[in-house]
Amino acid sequence: MDFISGETVGIILFFIGLFGLMTKKNILKTIMSISILQSGIYLFFIADDLPNNSIPPIGETLEKPVADPVPQALMITAIVIGLGITAIGLTMFIHYKKRYGISFWSRNRSEERSDQ
Amino acid sequence: MNLTKLILGLRFFLVILGAFLMIFLFIESKEIEVTIPSLKNYYLNFYYEDTAAKNSVAAIYLNYRVFDTLFEALMLMVSVMEVIHISWGNKHLIQRSILRKEFYKNNQSEVVLHFVGIIFPFLLMIAFYIIINGHNSPGGGFQGGAILATALIARYLIYPNEYLDLNILEKLEKFLFVIILSVPIFFIFMNDFSGNFIFNQIYLVTMNILIGFKVFFGLGVILYRFIFFERLN
Repeated sequence: MDFISGETVGIILFFIGLFGLMTKKNILKTIMSISILQSGIYLFFIADDLPNNSIPPIGETLEKPVADPVPQALMITAIVIGLGITAIGLTMFIHYKKRYGISFWSRNRSEERSDQ
Repeated sequence: MNLTKLILGLRFFLVILGAFLMIFLFIESKEIEVTIPSLKNYYLNFYYEDTAAKNSVAAIYLNYRVFDTLFEALMLMVSVMEVIHISWGNKHLIQRSILRKEFYKNNQSEVVLHFVGIIFPFLLMIAFYIIINGHNSPGGGFQGGAILATALIARYLIYPNEYLDLNILEKLEKFLFVIILSVPIFFIFMNDFSGNFIFNQIYLVTMNILIGFKVFFGLGVILYRFIFFERLN
């Protein structure tokens, strides 16, 4: 099964998150969708350029096939930024809920209840 | 109702189409061979001589691409400031007058209490090991800082009502950010010590410790803010 690799699973996760972003009207579900989308991106980048039987790029001399350190260093940054995005989104959601009393995107409540 | 179902189906179709297209393009592009010497080869050939770090990921995010780390630290600080200052809930919702001992005797699980007490020193130990040894082994400032922040979760499990002064944590985080900005300015951008092995290692350990504590303070502020202030009722 060469087809199922980290990259393809990452792409599928990304599109699951995108589908959630497009269809869900609950704000919490939107934030969760953003997190799923981000984890798809992390998986794609980390699994990219990862040869079979490769070793981690740690040590003084590297002779065997090694994993690519560049996307790993980029993803450390991306993970912390994703955490910041989730925290900001949750704070905004809580105050939106406190002020307006609803947790949907739309102003029209009666329309939203049937669509949950 | 028919129209909404149609729109839902259209979105579903678009997502499936996009996923298949991306996977197809990805598998097709794998067969093209890249012959240009890539960034990976340069980093993997020279990182130990250049930066004195055995962990090449640490070498990249602390030396070659240090701008990434600086702006990422800025990003975390901005999100912490947003969580504290833009937030409208400025009232502490748990009164501190609840007696602590009675509370945890009645409501906390004994198993959790004892095991958190056993785990706690090992938690701190592995966090500091990962931070300090991050340039030679898997680990680094971000990971160690996240493990240190789990120590705060353990503290919350044992003392759910004891408050932590978040203003001090936030000020410490800002102060650490200034230091994180200034250390690479004096070390990397001056380019005086770039070949010196010992100075490089001192720089790596210093930056890892600073980043670890900064991530610890940031995550701690976010965690305790959500626990004590941002409740719905």
